[in-house]
Amino acid sequence: MPETSPALPKIDTRHRIELTEGVEIWLPIAGPAVRAMAYLIDLLIRWGILIAAVIVIGLCSTFLGKNVAQGLMLLFTFWWTWFFYVFYEVGKRGASPGKRAMGLRVVQTSGAPLTWSQAIVRNFLRFVDALPVGYAFGLIACLSGNSFQRLGDMAAGTCVIYTGGHPASDGPMPLNLEPLAPPTALEPSEQLAIVSYLERAGLWSDARREELANHIPTLTHQTGREGVNRLLRMGWWIRNSS
Amino acid sequence: MNRQTFESLHEERWKAFEAMLDELDGKNPPEQSAQFPAMFRQVCSDLSLAQQRMYGLRLCERLNAMVIRGHKHLYRSSARLGEGVLRFIAVDFPRAFRKDIKLFWINCVFFLVPLAGIIIGSQFEPRWSHALLGTEQMAQLQDMYGSDSPIKHLRDEFGSNFMMFAFYIMNNIGIDFRIFAGGILFGVGTLFFIIFNGLFFGAATAYIHEAANPESFYGFICGHASVEIMGMLVAGMAGLHIGLGLLHSGRRGRKQALLDAAKRSLPFLYGAALLTFLAAIIEGFWSAQPVAAPIKYAVATFWFVALVAYFTFAGGQADEA
Repeated sequence: MPETSPALPKIDTRHRIELTEGVEIWLPIAGPAVRAMAYLIDLLIRWGILIAAVIVIGLCSTFLGKNVAQGLMLLFTFWWTWFFYVFYEVGKRGASPGKRAMGLRVVQTSGAPLTWSQAIVRNFLRFVDALPVGYAFGLIACLSGNSFQRLGDMAAGTCVIYTGGHPASDGPMPLNLEPLAPPTALEPSEQLAIVSYLERAGLWSDARREELANHIPTLTHQTGREGVNRLLRMGWWIRNSS
Repeated sequence: MNRQTFESLHEERWKAFEAMLDELDGKNPPEQSAQFPAMFRQVCSDLSLAQQRMYGLRLCERLNAMVIRGHKHLYRSSARLGEGVLRFIAVDFPRAFRKDIKLFWINCVFFLVPLAGIIIGSQFEPRWSHALLGTEQMAQLQDMYGSDSPIKHLRDEFGSNFMMFAFYIMNNIGIDFRIFAGGILFGVGTLFFIIFNGLFFGAATAYIHEAANPESFYGFICGHASVEIMGMLVAGMAGLHIGLGLLHSGRRGRKQALLDAAKRSLPFLYGAALLTFLAAIIEGFWSAQPVAAPIKYAVATFWFVALVAYFTFAGGQADEA
């Protein structure tokens, strides 16, 4: 049974779990903002297809009869409202079209793909997550946990992750740094934090880099630009010496 | 060993694994994937090493993504949707029902007390049911059950039976799903819908007795009423499972309690959908047929007895674990 290990304090939204293979992986959990975007895309698709269905069934109504056409429309609406997400999320890609477009996927909290029951629980509870307006309950639930689960996710034991790794790891890296050995021996988690700083520094503004580097003057003995520089060089040293 | 050596040593194997993943993801998965588990475990151990030796985020990220993708394929459930449906209907559902029959009685109370209350109350003060129904509903009820010839006139057009069947599917099963979902608000949402339905049915009954023709009303609803109400109450059981699970979390955390409760509530959700589906078939294609009243009441009795028998006897005794 995979278990979460809360040992390390979190420096990002990666959710660490251990697989039966004994290896620890991290699930790059997606937050409410990107999921809201995916939802809007899905909403447009759902409305678009619904309107298309109205037109197609409307055209067919001449030979189907008015009532049969209306009945088909009702059945389609029912299926489309309640099972749109279920079928897409239980499918091979584990994502609705909107989630796919945003590079997201729904998985069990163990990282395994969804079962039918989980997809059904997750998406039927959407109705409550959307209460009272604009997915307010879902948002509150998302922000109160550490893996951004809305109520449906909690009940089904699922979460939404980035398909292709965390976007934070795609930033450009500074080149040609002169390695600098840290003044003291560092714990693995500390080393990891500094390497992560190096690898993500390209994504931040100068002010943000300085702000973060100013947290550890004990290591750099400097603040401001020079502190940033020294920290990056230490990151480079750790990265290349191991 | 440093990162570069590690990478160059295993790069070929990773490429092969990624190629295999792409194939598995594609439209035509390969027949031969016997080496897949072994390759997957090797990548797992690569990831562990890379993490332990801190080869940097980029490499770990790549291996991590490979492990997640591989895990997805190795553990994909191969069970088909159709599998086990028969067993569910014949054994699992009625057994689960009997095990939690207490929840059924709770739902009954929350449905029947408002229903009876509004019927009795309306005898003294008809405005109660009027207020609940509103003018539009009252006009509709009079339209449907007012004349001596029952609602037949609504159904003589071609295809209208099918149309009504579709409407009942959408409306009634949708209500079931909402009753279920309302359970996560500590059961309050579920009870709200159950009470509301009780009040509404009660008000409609009272109003028809007051202003329309009760015989055509009972002739219409008797066929499907027992199945439909049963479906609604079973949906209520599903919702209360979740609500009570949250309230009575016991020694687990609330989140774990919610997970367990949701799992236990599922048979009731599926059962409710099946029952309501059956009710929609009856309501769409039988209830409005111009058949003599005694036959209708006989069919209604059949359904009632069948339901009682099903929930009492189907599936037999649960095996003692």
